[in-house]
Amino acid sequence: METTIQKAYSTPARIFIDWLLIGIQSFGGGSSTFSLIHQAAIKRGWMTEDEFVRAWALVQIAPGINLVKLTILIGYRMCGWLGLCAAVGGLLLPSAAVTVLMTAGFTTIRNISWIQAMMKAIMPAAIGLSFAMGVQMAQPILLNAHKEGARRLGAHIFILIGATMLMGITRLSPVVILLLSGVTTIVLFFFIPTQAPEMLRDINS
Amino acid sequence: MNPLIYFWLFLKASLLSIGGLGNLPFLNGDLLALGWAAPSDFVTAIAVGNLSPGPNGLWSVSLGYLTFGWLGAFMALIALSLPPLLIIIIDSSYNRIENQPIVRDFTRGLGMGVVGLTLAVSVSLAKASIMDWKGILIMLCSLSLALSKKIPVIVILALASVAGILIYGF
Repeated sequence: METTIQKAYSTPARIFIDWLLIGIQSFGGGSSTFSLIHQAAIKRGWMTEDEFVRAWALVQIAPGINLVKLTILIGYRMCGWLGLCAAVGGLLLPSAAVTVLMTAGFTTIRNISWIQAMMKAIMPAAIGLSFAMGVQMAQPILLNAHKEGARRLGAHIFILIGATMLMGITRLSPVVILLLSGVTTIVLFFFIPTQAPEMLRDINS
Repeated sequence: MNPLIYFWLFLKASLLSIGGLGNLPFLNGDLLALGWAAPSDFVTAIAVGNLSPGPNGLWSVSLGYLTFGWLGAFMALIALSLPPLLIIIIDSSYNRIENQPIVRDFTRGLGMGVVGLTLAVSVSLAKASIMDWKGILIMLCSLSLALSKKIPVIVILALASVAGILIYGF
């Protein structure tokens, strides 16, 4: 077993450079950033695969951008608060600067007619990407629910549709909707036990 | 525009939400109500956030720039960097309770809720900025290419821009 943290190697300056490279290489948004972080963490022994998966799960229930939280957890483990600042700074500073420059460039050229034609198509494409993100986030949760039986799966879909409708139709705060989703799930799961594993094996075989 | 309130709105949105687009419904509601942003600012910012390097959550830095210049971008960056620090505290306390069934169930529900919010926001964005059947077609193409997971996001957006020039440019 190799050790998970290599403090002697991970000076704040070195950490900053490592994360800077992750930050500027990941054109095209979050999914490429995520795979770059994963690759670096495992290859360089920042974290084991198990630790990485647990960190990613934890990230899902804390406030803020998931990749920033993941960076914070890894940076903190590498070199305490200094490591944390170095990692987050390396990830965000250059990529935020490029984001602003791209926005600025965009505002000066957006009156050119072929740019407008381009944007007219990029907007629906970006919305398609946002739908895809929703589907990809739902997939692992629903697959997990499916293993627990049809009624559990039904309960999940009910929560999903409920949250979507509440957000789309009412003026409730997103936090209230999230809390409602969590509490409703606890109540529903209390009345719908997981199906026994033996039955599942029969269904699957 | 009051810079303090402006900063607070971004900070609050990040503090109360999970994920890169989680702050969108908050900022969308607050900034539109105050008249500090136009609906098109949001669509532009999200498009830039998808293209630029780093987390998609940097879209709010783009929104900051569009609505309040460099100061806005800077405040948005600070506002999105602070709330994630809570993960350090959550990490140490979650260790103790993560195997409680009630915590696991709640977390599961939260996950479905997050997905629901994402879908609802996507629908409202689509209503605001897709005008014709060609737009719907482009959206569906992009959705299915993204779900195939074989094509990088940046390639999908590049293809969409070429399609845009061909469809709308002449």
